[in-house]
Amino acid sequence: MLGELEQVVLLAVMRVGKDAYGVPVHDEIQRRAGRDLTLGTIYKTLTRLEDKGLVASYVGAPTTERGGRRTRCYMVTVAGKRALQATFKALRHMAAGLDVGLEPT
Amino acid sequence: MRFCIWLLERLLRPEVSASVVGDLIEQRERGAFWIYAETLSALWNLHTRPHSGDGLVTTFLIDLRIAARLLRRSPAFAIVSVLTLGLAIGATTAIFSVIEPVLIRPLPYPQPERLVFVWERDRDGSRDNVGYATFRDFMNESRSIEYGAAIGDWQPTLSGEGRPERVSGDRVSWQYFRVLGVRPELGRDFLAEEDVPGQNQVVILSHGLWERRYGADRSIIGRTISINDNPLTVIGVMPASFDNVASPSAQVWRALGYANQPFACRTCHHLRMLARIRPEISLATATTELDQIHRRMEKAYPNEYASDGASIVTMQAEATREFRPALLALTAAVLLVLLIAVANVVNLQLARAVRREEEFAIRAALGARRSRLVGQLLTEGLLLALLGGAAGLVVARLSLPILIDRLPQALPRLSAIHLDLAALGTVTAIVLLLAIVMGLAPARGPVGDLGINLRSGRRLSGGRHHVTRAALVVGEVALATMLLVSAGLIARSLVRLLAVDVGFDPTHLLTLEINSAGANYRSDAPVFAYHDRVRDVVASLPGVTSVAVANQLPLAGNVDMYGVIDPDNIPSNPELVPSGDRYVVSGTYFSTMHIPILRGRNFTASETSDTTNRVALVSAALAQRLWPGANPIGKRIRLGGLKGLDRVVVGVAGNVRHRGLDATSTLQWYVPERQWAGADNQEVLIVRTAGDPSALAASVRKVVASIDPTQPIVKLATMDQIIGVSTAQRRLALVLFGAFAAAALLLAVAGIYGVLAGSVAERTREIGVRSALGATPRDIIGLVVGQGGRLSTIGLVLGVAGSFALTRYLRTFLFGVGPTDPTTFVGVVALLGFVTVAACLIPAMRASRVDPSRALRSE
Repeated sequence: MLGELEQVVLLAVMRVGKDAYGVPVHDEIQRRAGRDLTLGTIYKTLTRLEDKGLVASYVGAPTTERGGRRTRCYMVTVAGKRALQATFKALRHMAAGLDVGLEPT
Repeated sequence: MRFCIWLLERLLRPEVSASVVGDLIEQRERGAFWIYAETLSALWNLHTRPHSGDGLVTTFLIDLRIAARLLRRSPAFAIVSVLTLGLAIGATTAIFSVIEPVLIRPLPYPQPERLVFVWERDRDGSRDNVGYATFRDFMNESRSIEYGAAIGDWQPTLSGEGRPERVSGDRVSWQYFRVLGVRPELGRDFLAEEDVPGQNQVVILSHGLWERRYGADRSIIGRTISINDNPLTVIGVMPASFDNVASPSAQVWRALGYANQPFACRTCHHLRMLARIRPEISLATATTELDQIHRRMEKAYPNEYASDGASIVTMQAEATREFRPALLALTAAVLLVLLIAVANVVNLQLARAVRREEEFAIRAALGARRSRLVGQLLTEGLLLALLGGAAGLVVARLSLPILIDRLPQALPRLSAIHLDLAALGTVTAIVLLLAIVMGLAPARGPVGDLGINLRSGRRLSGGRHHVTRAALVVGEVALATMLLVSAGLIARSLVRLLAVDVGFDPTHLLTLEINSAGANYRSDAPVFAYHDRVRDVVASLPGVTSVAVANQLPLAGNVDMYGVIDPDNIPSNPELVPSGDRYVVSGTYFSTMHIPILRGRNFTASETSDTTNRVALVSAALAQRLWPGANPIGKRIRLGGLKGLDRVVVGVAGNVRHRGLDATSTLQWYVPERQWAGADNQEVLIVRTAGDPSALAASVRKVVASIDPTQPIVKLATMDQIIGVSTAQRRLALVLFGAFAAAALLLAVAGIYGVLAGSVAERTREIGVRSALGATPRDIIGLVVGQGGRLSTIGLVLGVAGSFALTRYLRTFLFGVGPTDPTTFVGVVALLGFVTVAACLIPAMRASRVDPSRALRSE
C-alpha cells in the first residue's frame, strides 16, 4: 500500500501528464489538495517512487529560464498505476459500510 | 541565491541538484526567504538519504536528524533545556550588549587613548576641577598637550521662536572640538579670537537640537538666536554621529570667553580640563610634566592652592568610572547564572544518557566507531545549544529595550547600546562552548566498554555519572548561594537607604523650576516680585497648604556651595575654608519642607523683605563645625568667601541630606532671598499639598505659566519622584540581582531534585532489599534526604566561602550593610537549606513507598 505522499505525488504526475517535473507537480498539488510541499519533499518522494519502479524519468531540454539546467520529468509506470489501484481498492474495502462519508462515489 | 546554488550543487548528486536548482531559478521571483527555505528542505530531504554519499556533512546531517527526532520525542526535556539556556543566554547577551559600548568599545574619537582629563589632586587624594588661571598655565607651559580645553557647565534658556526651553549645554574654550578631533558638519569650529570676554557671542548646536528646534534648517548658520535673551550667532552644527562623552546631555556649546580677571581665578574649581596628549609623548611622561607644572604653581601662589600636584585620567576611564564596578558586578552575576544554567542542562543530558546506555551499547556492539557515537552526542549538544541560542536572542531582543530604559541617564554612550554583532559574537562563542561541554559530558561514560556490559547481560546502571552529577549539583548550590547573598545584601542596603532620615518630610511635596530670564528681569526687583506673585497665586490653589521658593533642592543633584567663614577666626589659607550648601529661600521654606528649627527662630517678615538686618540660619552640623560646643545664636558669619558680607546667626535648622541618601552629609546655610548678593533667575518652587501632590501638577503648571508665559517651566516632579531617581540605580541592581538569584535558586533546586529522583529510580532494588531487611519508611526517607542534604551542605559551604571572597566587589551597591553581613548570610543559608530539603522530600517519599517484593521481583 502506498504512503500518503506517494499517492499525492503519483496522482499529480498523472494529472500534469507531459513534462511533469518539480514545479508543475508542486503547483498541481497546491491547486488540488491545498498543500504547499517543498520541492525537496517532492523530489525525495519521486526518487523513492523511481526506486520502487512506480515512476520512470527522462531528462528534458535545458532552458535559459532555468539557468541552463535540464529538467528531469517523470511519468507513472504501469506498476505505478497498479499500485494506486491496489491502494484505492484497499481503502474502499476498509471504508465499506462505515457510512462516514468515506465511500468513493 | 548564488550561495544556495553553490551549496546544493556541492552537496547533492549532480542529477538531483540540476532538477532542484533549475526549479529554484525558474521560481526565483518567489523571493529570498522561499529560496532559503527550499534549499534547506532540499538538503534535508535529498541529501541525508542513506547511500546518497558519505563524508562529514552527510554524517552531520544524519546526526542532526536523529537529534531533532530525539528532542521531539522528549518534549519536556527539550522545553526545559531550551528555556533554561535561552533565559541565561538572553540575559548574558543583554548585559554584554550594555557592557561592550559602555566599558569596552573605544570612545568614538580619533586616537581616543590620548584623550585625558587633568585634575588637581587634593591632599586627601581626591581630585578637583581646575580654575581658569590654572588651566591657562597648564596650556602655556606644558609641552605634552597637543590641544586642551576647559569645560564649564551651562544651562541656557532658548527663547525667540517657539516655546521657551531650557537645555543642557557646555561653555568650552575654543580648542574643545579640536581636542576631541571632530568637526562641525555644517559651518565652522570656534576660533581663538572668539574665546575672549565680549567676543564669545557664538554657539555651536548639536545635530539633535538643530533638527528638533530649528527644523534642520541649513540657513541657521550665521543667524542669531535668542539664548538667555542674548542674541548669539550660530556658527556650526555638529554631526549626528557626534557622541559628546564629556557631557552626554549637552545640546549647545558656547565659547567660554574667560581669559582675564575675575574669571581667571585659581581658588575656584568650576572647570573641567580635557586635553589631547601629543602622539609622541607617553601618558606617564605627560603625567609627570603636568604634576611638576602644578607644583610650581602651588609654590608661586601658596595661598591659592590646597592641592598636591595634578593627575591625569584617560577620558575612557573617567567616562566609565562611576559605573564600572556596578556593570562588572552585573556581568559576574549573569555569568554565574549562565554557569548554573549550563550545569543544569548538562545534568539533564547526563540523566538522559543513563537511560540511553542500552542504545549506545547496542550501536557499539553493531560496530559503531567511538568517534561516530561521540559525534552523535556532540551534534545533539550543538542542536540544543543552537536552539537555546535562538531562544536567547529572542529573550535579549525583548529584554534589552526594557533594560536600556531603566539604565541611569548619566551612563556614557547610552545611545550606542544596541543588540549588536559583538554581543551576538560573544553569545555564539558561548553557545559553541556549551555545545562541546554538553556533548562531551555524557560521551565520557557510555561509549566506553559498553560491549562488555552488554555481553555480561547485567542491567546497565549508569552509576558512573553519579560523581559528575553530584559535583554539578554542588556547584549549582554554591553559585546560587553567592547570587542569593548578593541579592540579599543589595536588598538590605536598599531598605537601609530608604530608612535614611533626610531631615525633611518628602511626602506631599511638588516641586518645579521657575525661571526669570530675559530683558524683563535684568534687575532684581522684578525677579523678586515675580517670585512673590508665583508664590501667592500657587498658595491660593485649593489643596495647597504651603508654598516656598528656594534656589536649590536637597537630593535633586544640585551643587551650589559657598565658603563659610567665622569672621572672628579666619583661616590663613582660603582653600581650607569649609563650604556649605547655599540656600537662598523664602521665609516659608522651613515650614513648607518641615525642617525643624532646633534653636533660635525663623526669619522675620522684615528680614525677608529688606536688608537692614542681615541674618542667616545654619544647619546644626555647620554650627558644630564653626563653634563646637558654643551657642551659635548671635554669632557673626561670613558667607561667600573672604569678600562676602557678614551676617548674624538667628537660628539653627536640622541637618538635611543634600547630596544623596548614600552620600556624605554636607553643611547648609540659609539666607532670605532679598538679603543675598543678587536675585537668582532660576528658582525652585516647592508646594506642600494636602493630598496626592501629582494630582496638582497640571493646575500648578497652568497658573505658573499664566503669570509669565515666556518663561520655561521645567523639572516638574514630586519630591518622592526625585528621591526615586536618586535610588533608581540601586533598585535596578536589586531587580537584576534578585531575578538572577531567583533563577539560580530554581535551577539549583531542580538540579538537586533531578539527581535524587534519578538516584532513587536506579536504587529501587537496593531500597527494596533494605526494606525487606527491616528498614522503616522513616529510615529510607532519612537515607535519601541525607544524600541530598550532603550535596547541598557542601554546596552551601563552598558558596558561603565564595561569597566571603567576592561580595566586597559589590561595595558600590551596599549601604549601611557590610559585605559580610551575618544576617544576610544566615538568612540565605537557612532559605537554601529549607528549599533543598523540600526538594529532597518528593523523591524520598517515593523511595519510602517502594514495595520490596515488587522491587526484588523485577530483577
